[in-house]
Amino acid sequence: MRDQGEGEPDAGRVGSGTGGGNGSDDGSGGAPDLGGAELCESGIGAPGREGRAGAGEWTYAPPADLAQPLAERLKGFPREPEMWMYALRSGAAAAIRAWLGVYHRFRIHGREHLPTAGSFVMVGNHQSHLDAPCLLAALPWRTLHRAFPAAAADYFFQSLPTAAFSSIVINALPFDREAKGEESLAVCRALLETPGNVLILFPEGTRSTTGELGRFRSGIGRLVEGTDVPVVPCRLVGAHRAWPKGAAIPRPAKLDLHIGAPRSFGHLPPGRETVGTICRELQEAVAGLG
Amino acid sequence: MTLALVTPQPEVFRAYAIAAAGLLVAAGLAIAWIGRGGRRDVSGVRRTWIGWLIMAPLALGALYLGRVPTIVGVGLLALGGFREFARATGLYRDWTTTIAVYLGVAGLTAVALVDDPETGAPGWYGLYMAMPVYVVAGLLTVPVWRNRAKGQLQPVALAIVGFVYFGWMFGHLAFLANAAEATGYLLFLIFAVELNDVAAFTCGRLFGRTKLRSEISPNKTVEGSLGALLFSLALPWLLRGSFPHFDAVDLVLTGLIVGVGGQLGDLSISFIKRDLGIKDMGALIPGHGGVLDRLDSLIYVAPLFFHLVRWRHGI
Repeated sequence: MRDQGEGEPDAGRVGSGTGGGNGSDDGSGGAPDLGGAELCESGIGAPGREGRAGAGEWTYAPPADLAQPLAERLKGFPREPEMWMYALRSGAAAAIRAWLGVYHRFRIHGREHLPTAGSFVMVGNHQSHLDAPCLLAALPWRTLHRAFPAAAADYFFQSLPTAAFSSIVINALPFDREAKGEESLAVCRALLETPGNVLILFPEGTRSTTGELGRFRSGIGRLVEGTDVPVVPCRLVGAHRAWPKGAAIPRPAKLDLHIGAPRSFGHLPPGRETVGTICRELQEAVAGLG
Repeated sequence: MTLALVTPQPEVFRAYAIAAAGLLVAAGLAIAWIGRGGRRDVSGVRRTWIGWLIMAPLALGALYLGRVPTIVGVGLLALGGFREFARATGLYRDWTTTIAVYLGVAGLTAVALVDDPETGAPGWYGLYMAMPVYVVAGLLTVPVWRNRAKGQLQPVALAIVGFVYFGWMFGHLAFLANAAEATGYLLFLIFAVELNDVAAFTCGRLFGRTKLRSEISPNKTVEGSLGALLFSLALPWLLRGSFPHFDAVDLVLTGLIVGVGGQLGDLSISFIKRDLGIKDMGALIPGHGGVLDRLDSLIYVAPLFFHLVRWRHGI
């Protein structure tokens, strides 16, 4: 399976997870390798299948969601690399990028700060439903199917139409806001262990009603403490004016996305204090942009 | 392209539609009666019944509207069936090969739709029969184009099986829609194959002692299978109005094709599923599993019946 993040052919690549696997794919796109093996162990993702394809070897490997109806597959995570879903997502991304450019005069500042290799996290302020599409639009095309905005499972994955939109168009990762989201954080960690994946988080946990930046919740701190995963602070300016919480449709307000320099926190000793430090530092970094 | 928008055999269609509606109503009443007051759990069989409530009008609607909707409908089923096979085997991860098969199946549907350039008859028979040559040749070039050998035989082999069995062989059903008596042929096939299944199940329940193929489908019995064969041999005589031009030899051969072929088709999908370690090929149809779980017998029977008809009467 082609590793889009690395952009190299698949010969010799071992698909270990839900997204990797048998055979190969030449030129027609590829699947995200979500590190399915880790997800399997955590009991969240696909059940493990022994003897998955190694380099060039073939064993039968039905998808983990084979017995699930489409509605359940859309709500599940990680997702199988479905051709039709990739096609729809690519088309939608092109339409959204065009919409943002024309209707919102969307501009990106500091794109050079985005890491070009490995996995990373983007954290942003959360004011509207435009935030995730804007952050996604800042990423290069090749990461489109490997960028996962975390979205509240209780909001975006309840009804079938929103779940379909969230999974197909946004490629959202259903994040459980209850019980401190420990299970969801485990999914995020597994995701970040595979190079080339991008996780998009809004650490405020909900959209701001005032346009002010809210307090960052502990999830981002717990996710990256003790790791060297780069975290890229982002600040979207204008989204509150463009599409405030409660408004039915967006207004043609200008949007500016400011991307800051990435930082990592592997040098800090893991612990509750570090989690607080990370959250504060990232909150200040986001607040200081733009 | 010849357009026939409404079935050329309205009487045959009406008889089958009434029979289908009657069977569905009777089955619904029976399920309600058996499960009344929560005496027995009928949720599974109710789901299956609901699945039929969705499928029967779709199938009847396409057949009523004539050859184009029927051919397109079978084409879509073939695409869906191959998709399930590709997912179940893991072939779906190989996009290039999968797309090649999809294009092949779409091509088959187009070839069944267009008129024969030489005779002007609906459906380009010569090209339809030659299609596997071109698609297999195309599939074999994929590893060559990739310049890769390791692990390439299996996806190509799976793709060929997928195209030939689920696309081309099943696609004969679409080509059959080009016959003047298509409504009778197709409705009989669908009915007979499903009733053959029911007969095997019922006879197996009543008289089943000896396992038929223990390593493939442990619930099937020799007694059930023989009962279904007898039933299927009788069915063409009972539903003779579907093909008034059939003589005794045709009717016997039709019964054999449905009685034997239907069960072999069922067992073929069963061994594939067992080899893959899965229960159902998909989850598209509530209470039935995937498209292939429902069509298993029909895929096997369709080309055999098609060539019987073509040999004895022409399409």
